[in-house]
Amino acid sequence: MDEDNQKTNEKVDRKVIETEISMGPVHPAALEPYRVRLFVEDEIIKDAEITVGVNHRGVERIMEGLPVEKANSLTEKICGICSNSHIWNSCMVAEKALNIEVPERAQYIRIIMEELERMHSHMLYLAHGCEVLGHETLSMRMFYIRETVMELLRMIGGNRVQYGAPIIGGVRPRCELDEMRIQKLKEGMDTVEEKMTEFADRFVSDPMIMSRITGIGTLSQKDAIKLGTSGPTLRATGVEKDLRRDMTVYDPFEFDVITQDDGDVKSNLLVRVFEILESVKIIRQAVAGLPEGKITNRSWEMQDAPITKSYIEVPRGTLYHSYALQDGRVRHSVIRTPSITNIGAMQYACIGQHVTDAQLSIVQCDPCFTCTDRAVKIIRLDK
Amino acid sequence: MSLKSYSRARAVHVMLVYTGGCNGCDIEIVNCILSPKYDAEQYKVFLTWNPREADVLVVTGPVTRRNEEPLRKMYEAIPEPKVVVAAGACALMGGVYKNIHGDIPSEEIMGPVENIIPVDAKVPGCAVRPEDILSGVVAALPKLLNAK
Repeated sequence: MDEDNQKTNEKVDRKVIETEISMGPVHPAALEPYRVRLFVEDEIIKDAEITVGVNHRGVERIMEGLPVEKANSLTEKICGICSNSHIWNSCMVAEKALNIEVPERAQYIRIIMEELERMHSHMLYLAHGCEVLGHETLSMRMFYIRETVMELLRMIGGNRVQYGAPIIGGVRPRCELDEMRIQKLKEGMDTVEEKMTEFADRFVSDPMIMSRITGIGTLSQKDAIKLGTSGPTLRATGVEKDLRRDMTVYDPFEFDVITQDDGDVKSNLLVRVFEILESVKIIRQAVAGLPEGKITNRSWEMQDAPITKSYIEVPRGTLYHSYALQDGRVRHSVIRTPSITNIGAMQYACIGQHVTDAQLSIVQCDPCFTCTDRAVKIIRLDK
Repeated sequence: MSLKSYSRARAVHVMLVYTGGCNGCDIEIVNCILSPKYDAEQYKVFLTWNPREADVLVVTGPVTRRNEEPLRKMYEAIPEPKVVVAAGACALMGGVYKNIHGDIPSEEIMGPVENIIPVDAKVPGCAVRPEDILSGVVAALPKLLNAK
């Protein structure tokens, strides 16, 4: 019939697989639609297959031939969690292609938005993780802390999701930071730091939670590098790699690259907890040293440009955008999100686990299936 | 008031179906029910992931080709009486994916949700705000509670 069924048959022929547990595309245990097939022997997972592609909307294809400003705001709609990262990177491609200089104040505001987004994304991950663990109280506690960040985002961008701060050459005038907003940002950072520290203490000192997450879903460092994972998932296996260190816009800021050694669910959760505290540090520095001046550089002209690439570090890893410009329109757009390799690596993390831990093992990489589902091969069966 | 409708009014179960949007609406809906700030659970509205125990189906996203069949099945699995709430610009009119395109339109979008299943209440917004979702669900409730 189709390819993945054939592969299963081969596995059955080789007598590797005893039973298959298939979940999805829509399943009560999974928040987003995707398909998981677990091949088990006595409740121990021997092999796993994760299939994405349920949410395919063809964003790259509808971007072809759109004016570049419109295409940028369309990239924001790829993902509702890391929307600022997409529009920021897409604007950076245009700025690189047309040699537009971005004012320093705009870069600082963009970084503030990006770090706020990293905080709320990681907090969502922790809340979802606690829910999958079965600890609803901590999950609700996390949602409560997250509201502080969401209110800040709403204050700056005007919307709780998809605030759309960056435009080509700077940031939107709506996102200008004045005294009152800076004061609120400072207060918000104090609240988040205090509450996150309390949360982390409570989380780590709970023997029940720690015994549930230690040693579950282990991904070795060798596998993580081989499978091309990036972001916190890679850092949780002990590799000190953060693309923010290589980005010139992050040069004025001091922050630590957080690593953990084990590569299991515990390491993944702790990396995110500490990264939230690092983001607090970056935002404090950005607010304290916010340069004066314009926030948008409007003196640029549209011209044709060859394919230009840009990589940035987003909450989940490395994001890639590239497109060419022809008559002010976007051509050959390619977007690659970090989740695609991270989800692939989770197939390895599942192997050897109990069936009850499968969901936890998959969720530990912070999978975002909306980001991931763009380039898939569609086989029409009716032809 | 029968015993059935009495108990139904005291435990409204909302099921969230995600059909290919950008995830923004879904998180706002989960946020609206689970987060202590909005906390719909204090009004006896609960989130469930099981269609067989759901009363209200909240649909987000433009319906993608692969999601059309599951959505229809899920709608059929919910026992009567049931209410469908379409939340967000994508569920109402296909959103940016259906209406904005360059040279070629996207063939993957089968939505809006109205084309596939009947919709009782609509919640506009991109992304929807938690307050709007609460008012949308409340607007759809009379149909559920007045059912025999």
